[in-house]
Amino acid sequence: MNKKPKVYVGMSGGVDSSLTAALLVEQGYDVTGVYMKNWTQDLPGMKCPWADDLADAKRVAVQLGIDFKVFDFENEYRQKVVDYMIDEYKNGRTPNPDIMCNQEVKFKLFLDTALDDGVDMIATGHYARVEHYDNDSFAITSERLRAAPIKGPGALLNSGCRCSSKIGSNLSAGDIPQSSRSVTVSSDTLEPKSELAPGPNSDLERSSTMKNGGRKGEQEKGILLRAVDGNKDQTYFLYRITGEALGKTLFPIGEFTKPEVRKMAEDRGLTTAAKKDSQGICFVGQVGIRDFLSLYVDQQPGKIIDKQSGKVLGYHEGAIFYTLGQRHGLDVGGGLPYYVVDKDMTTNEVYVTTNLDDGVLWKNEIRLGNIHWINEAPIEGLYQIRVRHRAPLISAMLVFDDSGVSLKPDDSQRAIAPGQSVVIYDGDVCLGGGIVI
Amino acid sequence: MDKEVIYLDHAAATPMDARVIAVMQPYFSDNFYNPSSPYAPAVAVRRDYEAAKQKLASLIGAKSSEIIITAGATESINLAINGIGGHVIVSNIEHPAVLVSASAREHTIVAADKYGYVSADIIKAAIQPNTQLISVALANNELGTIQPLRDIAEVIKAERASRLMRGDKTPIHLHCDASQGVGQIDVNVARLGLDMLTINSGKIYGPKQVGLLWTASQVRIQPQIIGGGQEHGMRSGTENVAGVIGFARALELVSEHRKYEVERLALMRDNLQRVLTSALPNSIVSSHPKCRLAGHLHISFPGLDGERLVFLLENRGVLVATGSACSANKGTRSHVLMAIGLSPEVADGSIRITLGHLSTTENIEKAGQIMVEEINQEYQRVKL
Repeated sequence: MNKKPKVYVGMSGGVDSSLTAALLVEQGYDVTGVYMKNWTQDLPGMKCPWADDLADAKRVAVQLGIDFKVFDFENEYRQKVVDYMIDEYKNGRTPNPDIMCNQEVKFKLFLDTALDDGVDMIATGHYARVEHYDNDSFAITSERLRAAPIKGPGALLNSGCRCSSKIGSNLSAGDIPQSSRSVTVSSDTLEPKSELAPGPNSDLERSSTMKNGGRKGEQEKGILLRAVDGNKDQTYFLYRITGEALGKTLFPIGEFTKPEVRKMAEDRGLTTAAKKDSQGICFVGQVGIRDFLSLYVDQQPGKIIDKQSGKVLGYHEGAIFYTLGQRHGLDVGGGLPYYVVDKDMTTNEVYVTTNLDDGVLWKNEIRLGNIHWINEAPIEGLYQIRVRHRAPLISAMLVFDDSGVSLKPDDSQRAIAPGQSVVIYDGDVCLGGGIVI
Repeated sequence: MDKEVIYLDHAAATPMDARVIAVMQPYFSDNFYNPSSPYAPAVAVRRDYEAAKQKLASLIGAKSSEIIITAGATESINLAINGIGGHVIVSNIEHPAVLVSASAREHTIVAADKYGYVSADIIKAAIQPNTQLISVALANNELGTIQPLRDIAEVIKAERASRLMRGDKTPIHLHCDASQGVGQIDVNVARLGLDMLTINSGKIYGPKQVGLLWTASQVRIQPQIIGGGQEHGMRSGTENVAGVIGFARALELVSEHRKYEVERLALMRDNLQRVLTSALPNSIVSSHPKCRLAGHLHISFPGLDGERLVFLLENRGVLVATGSACSANKGTRSHVLMAIGLSPEVADGSIRITLGHLSTTENIEKAGQIMVEEINQEYQRVKL
């Protein structure tokens, strides 16, 4: 008898990760729920709800009859995510803590700790999909091509040479990679999307899923694909994780829409089925970046200056609290709304304008540094990019330059702030991205 | 979820007695007046309010003028501890309201023994020349251990006498938080030898957010909430008339039924304890073997996780408490269980069962069966 592959599921106490754990149990994995304790400090106006979230996660674990652990990553989280964020803000940039959290904590620290414990895979409740392939055979099948509906030029079918020179060759049904697509759904109405439905090989694939999951030490990698629910897709937050990490990762709910996830959680009687989604991911969304930063940064009054006239319009409590394109909270009252167009961190000055067409607000070239590719680097050409979470995908020409990557979007883009991440897609495949210089 | 709920957490909250609700009702609508207003209907409300306070006072053997109504035990405790100067002595198993208040000033924390018993001798040894307050709960909320208040009161009386003999006028007072146990132990203040007493309405089938602090007439305390001068200036704010009327009725009812209820609860609790300890031989019962509240059963299943047991039992409709969250979750382990020296393994595997009005012979028997089943299954799951 084959031993069940072991999976650690990051359980946050929300509905998404609860269902993730439930689905993996149904698929026959040996599942352990893990709550990652990342942040315990109370923030202004709220007691950190981690104790309640932990209890919710544990309650679901007990309901599913699985083991449950708590990993205390508070110190690492503080160093890698919180300190990084504060530094970035201090330097006048607009960082994204969720991206950092995924890169450093969930898909590095959590993964490594899990592998040290002897598990085969980790899983999280992210809205994303992963396609696994074996480094030795680089087998990728028509199944996979169907999994990623072609979305125009540069999409998967003709992009084999872009993502990986070897993907797309050597098709063989027997070597179908493990796929997060092969989830078993109990409700008939909630089968995976028709275009994603498992083909004739689905049974075989399912068994290979189990087998693959059980093997250890092989060089499996993963390709990151956008979630079926375009509205919830979280690949923007995942672009800095590695193909190797993805090779050990499952995203079972990426195949479903949020309403489906809620329905499936409800059908299974999960106690978190109706729980409200947390606003903003990680910790900051709960209070807003301003309250968070004000814990670490002394307020320092500075001038708000009209960029066109050079006139001082008012005063702010610190340039650090302002980001490019921001409209609210300027308190310079009257007339047309003012937008932040620039700030000088050394003089602590914020420049604003009423001119919506100000050149600084609109960019027709985005230059990225600190580039990360999930697998191999793509070739130059036309791709799709996303400039912030849930922003629409827009097409852009990718060119490599000295400092990294230059992107020329079809239409110029508003309020692209330094420090912000831009993520690059090839059809459904998330290739990676970089940070705006 | 139509399954029967068996509530076994009466130490956390109690359902309001229907008779309590009934006497409160008119004061939400018809008799809504501010008792400080001058017109006749308001004066009538004032009279009812004072009568309720009088009833509360006589139930604890005190004078009405010595009672300060508060919004519950935490406020009473804050007032008692913050309202007195000097050095304060508390035990290490007190409620956080006591421990946190005391920690903010000059204090000594004395250690309870392995049963959660705070001996008079240990209090005596901690008394300093400037000690003005000793605060000990009537019974511990987690373990149910009943404290020797009368003995502690003797120690304080002796200290007071010796100070007077030396011509030292530094006052010394004994405060007792009787939130737990008031429904099961007679809290006549003279008999217990107290100077201050806290009672919580929400734990005796009365409304929540109502409590009292009794202070003997010679105790001088500083008010913490000031304003309109209600409660003899000791606690400002418009009187919670309905709450106090309900509180008085609740205390009256538990006092009337005390003897009967204690016997009833002890019988059921002892049966439950017998069922659990014989079916689950690993189990460990903590708290004092003799001095224990009748409805309390603190029991540990070493190697298991108490919080998991809470959720497993919750799935079967049985509601219990745990003082301890999972072992990996450091910092949330009960300070009481640590203080009495339980090993982490025993502390983490513990649950608190507290019986009360909602307990019947039948539902306790059923709860016992469910617990044995679930705990056995959990032992099998973790292969212990």
